[in-house]
Amino acid sequence: MDQASKTTDHPPDLSVQLGPLHLKNPVMVASGTCGYGEEYADFLELGQLGAVVVKGISLRPRPGNPPPRLVETPSGMINAIGLENVGVAAFLTEKLPYLRTQQVPVIVNILGNTVEEYVELATRLDGVDGIAALEINISCPNVKKGGVLFGTNPEAAAGVVRAVRRATALPLITKLTPNVTDIRAIARAAVDAGSDMLSCINTVAAVAVDIFSRRPKLANIVGGLSGPAIKPIALRCTYEVLQAVQCPVIGIGGIMTATDALEFLLVGARAIQVGTANFINPRVTLEIIKGMERFLRVEGLENIGDFIGALDTRCVFPFAEEACDLETMMSKE
Amino acid sequence: MAMVQDDARVVDQQEVAERTFRLRLRSERIAVTARAGQFVMLQVHHGTDPLLKRPFSFHRIMPEEGLIEILYRVVGRGTWCLSQCSPGNHLKIVGPLGNGFTLPEKDDRTVVLIAGGIGIAPLHELMVQLTSNLQADKRHAIHLFYGARTAAELIPTHLYSRLGIMVHCSTDDGSSGYQGYVTQLFELMVNQERHRPALLYACGPLVMLYHVARWSLAQNVPSQLSLESLMACGIGACLGCALPAPHPDDPMTDSYLHVCKDGPIFKAGSIAWTKLQRQPTTPQIYLYN
Repeated sequence: MDQASKTTDHPPDLSVQLGPLHLKNPVMVASGTCGYGEEYADFLELGQLGAVVVKGISLRPRPGNPPPRLVETPSGMINAIGLENVGVAAFLTEKLPYLRTQQVPVIVNILGNTVEEYVELATRLDGVDGIAALEINISCPNVKKGGVLFGTNPEAAAGVVRAVRRATALPLITKLTPNVTDIRAIARAAVDAGSDMLSCINTVAAVAVDIFSRRPKLANIVGGLSGPAIKPIALRCTYEVLQAVQCPVIGIGGIMTATDALEFLLVGARAIQVGTANFINPRVTLEIIKGMERFLRVEGLENIGDFIGALDTRCVFPFAEEACDLETMMSKE
Repeated sequence: MAMVQDDARVVDQQEVAERTFRLRLRSERIAVTARAGQFVMLQVHHGTDPLLKRPFSFHRIMPEEGLIEILYRVVGRGTWCLSQCSPGNHLKIVGPLGNGFTLPEKDDRTVVLIAGGIGIAPLHELMVQLTSNLQADKRHAIHLFYGARTAAELIPTHLYSRLGIMVHCSTDDGSSGYQGYVTQLFELMVNQERHRPALLYACGPLVMLYHVARWSLAQNVPSQLSLESLMACGIGACLGCALPAPHPDDPMTDSYLHVCKDGPIFKAGSIAWTKLQRQPTTPQIYLYN
């Protein structure tokens, strides 16, 4: 088949089904990297995205960590923002009205220090017009009590998910941390407790220090590494999680380009979230969507669904078949 | 004022003082709306290391020509990469960002600008705007106090004196002008009842700004200070550029401002100076390792 006949006239179909959620394309902006959407109003129409995941919301406003809160590292950055956010009340009255005017599914990332806080958040967000799903942050490594406890232990993770499940009818996404020995165990626990989907990964726990001042580069000392440096870790986690569970998985970690995004889909992620790249190029998500369309055209694929999970893990030696023929020929001689 | 992302063409790059570069970029869309004291996020490199854009204030804004200038000192890998780019290169740029300086309402009062080292960067455009539409004799009421570690780091001051303003220089080692800190020179001259300002503008190292802020609060002289911070986005999304601020009700509670949105220009009283951390600086000899 030649290249021209592989391409089609109508645009390829990028839409994906994530449990009960139907998205026009698999590209979302990750929590904490797009604020409450309005910050990007000058750069992009949110309606062009598959979904928006807003900055993590807690029951009460949080001031965040003292500075320095971020540091750049090779092909990455470490942040310890400390989950600064306006709190759920201000989110509902000041931030959500803007998001409602945008034609985009809004996923609200929630975080708490106790199971009860998660439950109260879920209860207050349940049935609110303009919210498509909740993403449960059980994995943010930034704040000592801010969730690392729940995300690194299967029982604790299941406890939060189960309680939130009872409190809301909204679709639930559980966001997993990579800072565990076996991410599959946490993934199974979250799904068994009622999570409709999983997203992975949150940032990778990391430290940076300065040899001249003999000080840590972050006031919080430990932060979360993001950016291209963590993409291979994120791909490995996505691959492992997909081996453990049947539900839709959203891939996150170091996605800068359409190629990066497609790698996660190839492994089997049903959608992806773009995080750090938004800081560097506020229009990067639109470029990724365009790049995906172009890839599907060139590859002669009409639906992105035909590409998702198409990873061929058989280890095939290219000359194996010919070698067999050769052996047969030689044995005949 | 809308922020835009643009592909800026490098028009010119000159080393104007030791390790200090003036970069001229063509971006019509940013030049037409930019104001003194605002900044841009500028890509310094094609690739993922260094990963982030860097914030730079406007050194000059030339809306008619569609040009902007930034002035920067090479302090690390990012600025080193930037110093290697040549005319014809394109760099991704986002701006204009932040609040910018507020110009004084009356022209006839003494205005003092204090610059420490590369802190001269945003003050040049401010000086141009302060002196435009101002008669020559009134320009003498504008004073620039400009300090650096050594003479080689000073931008040639005729650039500023030719605007008609009064320029007073200091260097830590005495190689040019007054020997000592620029804040010492300023206070010395003010204490001699000369040039007592009605309004202060300042940009420089944190410790210099701290002294300016203390003076301005003690003397009850309004000040506009240009601060900087590491930042990832510049548009209020990453929340990485936090500065401690006095909490309006409870001094024990943490409260933060963000340099990108609430600044980069702050009044002296809006920052909790005692909660600020000293910025680590990399010794020069290790910069290129």
